[in-house]
Amino acid sequence: MIITEDSEIDIFVASKIGSFKHIKYHTDSSKNSKKNIENLVDIKTLEKNEGITRLEWGNPEQTEILIGRKNQQIQIYDTLRGFTKSYTADFAPGEVVGLGRCKRKLLAAVASGVVKIWSKKTEEIINVGKLDRMRICADDNTVFGTGGEENDLKIWRIGETAPTFVAKNLAHDWLQLRRPVWVSDLVFLRGEGGRLAAVCSRHGYVRLYDSRAQRRPVVSVDFENMAATCITNSFDERQVLVGFGRGQLHQVDLRKGKPDKGYKGCVGAVADIALVREAGLIVSASLDRQLRVHRHHSKELIYSQYLTSKLSCVLVQTESSTPLSRVQSEIKDEVEDAIKVEEEEADDLDQLFDKMETVGDKPKKNKLKPEPEELPVKKHKPSSEGSTSLQEVDQEDTEDAIKKLLRSTEKLKKKRDQRKKEKKAKSVFHNA
Amino acid sequence: MARGKDKKKRKLEKKQEGDDVPKKMPHTLESLREKDETMLANVDDEEKLEAQKDMELDELSSYYENSYEPKVLITYSDNPHNKTRIFGKELCRMIPNSISRYRQRSSVKRIVQSALRENVTDVIVINENQKQPNGFLLIHLPNGPTAHFRLSSCKITPELRKDYKEITNHRPEVILNNFSTRLGLTVGRMLGALFHYEPQFRGRRAVTFHNQRDYIFFRHHRYEFTSDGKRAKLRELGPRFTLKLISLQQGTFDSKRGDFEWIIAGRRHQMETSRRKFFL
Repeated sequence: MIITEDSEIDIFVASKIGSFKHIKYHTDSSKNSKKNIENLVDIKTLEKNEGITRLEWGNPEQTEILIGRKNQQIQIYDTLRGFTKSYTADFAPGEVVGLGRCKRKLLAAVASGVVKIWSKKTEEIINVGKLDRMRICADDNTVFGTGGEENDLKIWRIGETAPTFVAKNLAHDWLQLRRPVWVSDLVFLRGEGGRLAAVCSRHGYVRLYDSRAQRRPVVSVDFENMAATCITNSFDERQVLVGFGRGQLHQVDLRKGKPDKGYKGCVGAVADIALVREAGLIVSASLDRQLRVHRHHSKELIYSQYLTSKLSCVLVQTESSTPLSRVQSEIKDEVEDAIKVEEEEADDLDQLFDKMETVGDKPKKNKLKPEPEELPVKKHKPSSEGSTSLQEVDQEDTEDAIKKLLRSTEKLKKKRDQRKKEKKAKSVFHNA
Repeated sequence: MARGKDKKKRKLEKKQEGDDVPKKMPHTLESLREKDETMLANVDDEEKLEAQKDMELDELSSYYENSYEPKVLITYSDNPHNKTRIFGKELCRMIPNSISRYRQRSSVKRIVQSALRENVTDVIVINENQKQPNGFLLIHLPNGPTAHFRLSSCKITPELRKDYKEITNHRPEVILNNFSTRLGLTVGRMLGALFHYEPQFRGRRAVTFHNQRDYIFFRHHRYEFTSDGKRAKLRELGPRFTLKLISLQQGTFDSKRGDFEWIIAGRRHQMETSRRKFFL
């Protein structure tokens, strides 16, 4: 795909130390620079355990970001107004591993395995067992899935206390040994209404579950000795992108049940993946502190940027856009200036009387400018004693200014002469 | 011959120019090193601040706040041969407050578990191949990071014709040299965190980790200042070896399921694009 026109893409990146950045990415690679990156959190104030573990969109317009931190703080960031609200998820130990919004309700999951649903009046708590990830279905907000170490995929519906779907492990292997389970991330496939969920694991498999068909996975793809860390929907409805702990990034085709494409370039574990659907780009955040952008079709790496701290999450804003606050502040300044000018115009009438007096000064200013005309005036000074004292003062001022000018020029000349002499002396010395 | 004449000419010219002309720096791989964006020397203030904060908040920060005395466990691969055993023992003499134990067929993960129980702060596992030590695994506890090095050109004291009795029990000074990139800083900090933060200067022992072209050279010296106090005489004491980073992993050892911060396996050809590109 060749994109001739330049388009801007807003990327939000969070890191393990708690910094939160906004990057304006241009598809025209020549326009990308460090100026397009800005911090949204003051780095000086960061403390231990403030690392961001989860980043999620709060509304379909993509103007609200839910931020989950290691110290169980949940913050809401408005892309236009900044941080608006914050909650504390201290109902159970562990870091925040999942966030989501369902109409007015806020869902939060912590690592020890408790999901809490806040609504205006009621608070609901569900115990699901040790968690690595909780995700809400994008198509149907009332559905969410959970999974963790030795805690297979469960799909829940808000308002119900029992899960609507509980996954069942594959049969024992040929040695009659149980297969270990570890859900590191899950995703609901697009356009399926929360029916299909894909799961990736640190034990090196990607599985697709169909909640209507059977409890065992419909498709299972094995990656030997590769710990999968994150999974997202890809461009096709039955394809997913999977990131691995050793820095691989693969597209997996769940129709064929095979790995499809590999995206090279990551040196550390892939922490999170996001897509830009219109432009056909894949954005990945990695533990090696780099943000990378790959082209989906050609698999080439087109952009990589060092962001100083280990990255944990990435979000791409596709529905709306946010200007960089630096640029925004400039615009604001301009607006303020305009307002000031207007105010001044309004005040003009009030200050009319004050300005009446200043009008008298204006001719003096005019006199200041044409200097050669004034010089003869100076000569005639004794004869023209009848002039007002104000004017005299003014003339004296101009005289002083001229004298100063003359002195300074003389000094400059002297300095130049000295330098010349020194130079000459040096050259003579060298010649000798 | 013509070249020789040129040389003479050049020498004469040099003499005529005198001593005022500064010496030209020779071009080496280091001086022509490719610019690395993660090097602290060439980033702006904001990034520097963030990098500093990053280091303040990482797993090694508690050592650099001098909040604990490091306690190190040194162990081997199973059935180590003589050289590896002696090497481990000598490392024990290098690193204050360290113990050397045989592995007893225990897995690294179990070693980590028991080390945590014993309040050990760092674990070193020395691997051996064909009677030569060849691997160096360094695990910082309680929660990572884990660095895996290739160990090469290891010389123990008898091979250097030195006597281990010369090595005193004083806590050595640690010199970390030339770790410049962000990755290099982390590795240097890990190596530095093995030693006690307060050296005993009376012992005049210095331990050096010198990074050159991604190889980390270890040397152990006793120094003595000359009578005019301008220079120091060095006497090499202890083992010498070279390390090369293979991988840096987040968390304690978990090579299968862990998250790697940096790993070169499988992408050497993509990463080693130039002879002048270095990672540490």
